[in-house]
Formats: sequence, structure tokens, C-alpha cells
Amino acid sequence: MTNDKRRQYDKELFDYKLHLSVLLIFLISQYIGELKYSLFNQVTIILLPMIYALIISVILYKSSKITWINIKQSKTASIIMLIIIGPLIAKLSIISGQNINMLIDVGPLIILEQLGDLGAIIIGLPLAIILGFKREAIGMTSSICREPQMAVIIDKYGFNSSETKGFMIVYIIATVLGALILSILVPILANIIPLHPYSYAIACGIGSTSMSVAGISALTSLYPQIQNQLMAFTSIANIIALILSIYIYMFISLPLTEKIYEKIKSK
Amino acid sequence: MKANLSIDTVLEWIGILVIFSIMSAIGNYVGYQYPFQESIVGMFILCLISLVGLILEKIIPVNIPSILYISLIGLILALPISPVSGVIIYYTSRVELISLTTILLAYAGIAMGKDLNEFKKVGLKGILVTFFVILGTYLGSALIAQGVLITSGMI
Repeated sequence: MTNDKRRQYDKELFDYKLHLSVLLIFLISQYIGELKYSLFNQVTIILLPMIYALIISVILYKSSKITWINIKQSKTASIIMLIIIGPLIAKLSIISGQNINMLIDVGPLIILEQLGDLGAIIIGLPLAIILGFKREAIGMTSSICREPQMAVIIDKYGFNSSETKGFMIVYIIATVLGALILSILVPILANIIPLHPYSYAIACGIGSTSMSVAGISALTSLYPQIQNQLMAFTSIANIIALILSIYIYMFISLPLTEKIYEKIKSK
Repeated sequence: MKANLSIDTVLEWIGILVIFSIMSAIGNYVGYQYPFQESIVGMFILCLISLVGLILEKIIPVNIPSILYISLIGLILALPISPVSGVIIYYTSRVELISLTTILLAYAGIAMGKDLNEFKKVGLKGILVTFFVILGTYLGSALIAQGVLITSGMI
């Protein structure tokens, strides 16, 4: 990169109007705080500050009055996200180090939890086929479509294949909406399917950092008394997912999806 | 390997992490009444671990994501046998996870802005499948975890 270009890039990364706007959005969202609504006296929906932050910032981007946040800042923001996700992971991993004794008891068994990815195939694949997707459905529903799996699917089918195209559809949507979807889904599920909070915490270690963090944040606000244990479980499950998900995808999920797809199609 | 990592890049990371630290410490002071100095020290610890992770990703010639390095460093530093675990746990407990998540999603919303048209192309069907893929993975994992925890006598 030439010096001039580099300087230009620096200036964009340290665009103070962008950072000040984010600070303001953050403080407003935090000020509003958690809001709980009860639906039909059964399902509690919790709205968290992070959801307002997401919505307010989309509105700022779309608003024509806010001239200092547009496409350029949008690109800058996506670079910044990759950097600041580090401290979030550090925070979670410190809590898992602190609770290591509890985790050693279940750690090896959490490896099994990785097979939970198969849930995506069971629920997702039939739906995708019903909605009219063809071989794209294999890429879409064989995993949660994060970076580790991307390498595998491109390697197996090629970048311009239908399978990879399907993968990219879910990849993009989950990148943008994944955190939002999980932060809404987690409290609802915890309400209607009463599994132990530890189980849901382990499930938050989904191998996608932003989704993990959104999920566990929602879960800890439901169970503040045991929030440290919950974060410890999520963190350890996320570490295991990062290490193992690529192999599970390569050797189990993807071949299995392919087989089920062929079976459904041949009928 | 050298070409992958310039001093400028490292300085950029540091700059962004410092901005993030200040924002978070302000939020933790305003929202949770944690002393500003303690939150900022906690943030600096988290950022230092991240910085080491980001640098390791670039200089170690194996394709391992920085997130994995960061996870392992944080975990090891906080183990009961680590001499610094007390200090690290104390200061980082002055940083609420949810305030970090809120800042992250504020940037995410702005980053999302440019992709909004992309969604119109894929349409509702794509969003629906994505929703069920996430639901399936999450619920599948939670059910297996429940079985595992019961088997191990944890719950």
C-alpha cells in the first residue's frame, strides 16, 4: 500500500464522528436498559440494549439527515468489528479459566455437543427444499455456515457451484442477522423448552463469535445469579467448536446432507 | 511472513482497541457504577490479550484464527495456577460482557447498512432458511448438551 493510501485508510479507521456516534448509540441503548414483555402470560420476550444499538445504528445509516454515516463508514465499521471482537472473546475465556475445575468434569463430553450442528440439517434441509431451493440447499443447511466451513465447501464444490452459492446466502444473512436472531431466540426457547441453563449456555458456543456473544448475553440476563458459570460453558464450547467444527463438517455433516438430499430428491 | 504484518497495522489495532476501551469504561461507569480506572484497566488487559492473538495469527504460518489464540491465552492466564489470575479476574470483572456486546452491535448495525440491498435480492426465503438453520443448530446442540450433562451427573 502506498503511503498516501495508507494515510487515507488511517483517517477512515479513526473517523471520530463514527466513533462518537457509536458511543452515543451505546449510552442511549444502555440507558433504556432491558425491557421485558410477557406474551400471553407464557413466553417472556426480553429486549436487550444490544438490540436497540443494532436498530438505532441501521436507522442512522439509512437516515438522510445523518450525513456523516454512509457507505464509507459502513465499510470501516465492518473492519473495526473484526478487531474489537477480540476483547469479548478474551473476557469469556478468562471466565472459563477461572472455572476450569467445573469444566474439566464435562469438557470431554462437550465434544459430543458439536454434533448439534446436525440439527440444522434436520430442520433446515426439508424446509429449504420445500421453498424451492435445489442444490443450494446442501450448502445452506449443512452447517451454520461460518468461516471454517466456507473453506471446506469451496474446496469440495468450487466457488461458482450452486452449493457454494447457497452457503454464501446463509453466510451473509447470518453474519448480519445472526446475532439479532439468537438474542431473540434464546430467551424464547429458554421459556418454552425448559432445558437446564447450562445446556443452553453450551449451545451458545456455536462457533460464530458474534452469535455466541449475543446468545450468551441474552442468557445471562435471564439467569444473572449463575452468569459466570454460563459464560464459562459458552466459552469452552466455543473453543472446542473452533477446533473441531471443520472436521465434523468435512467428514460428517456435509456428506450426510448430500445423502439426505439425494434421498429426498429421488422420491 | 513479514509482509503480512506492518507496524502500521499493529498501530491501527492498538488505536481501535484504545477507543473501544474508553467507550466501554465510560459505559461501565455510567451504567454499572464501576470505578472508571478499574474498568479501563480491565479493558486494557482484555485488549492486550487480543493484540497478542491478532499478532500471533499473522506471524505464525499456520492457518489458525486469532480468536483461538485469544481464547487460549485468556484461559491460561486465568487458571488457578496462574500467578496473575487474581489481578486479571478482579479487573476484568469490572467490564460487563453485555456492554461490550452492545458496542459491537452498534458497529454491526452501521456495517450492515451497506448490505441491506443484498437482502432484497435473496429475499424472505433465504432469511427463513437461515433462521431455521440457526434454530436447528442451537436446539440440536442444547439437546445433546442436556443429555451430556445428565449423563455426567452435572445437573
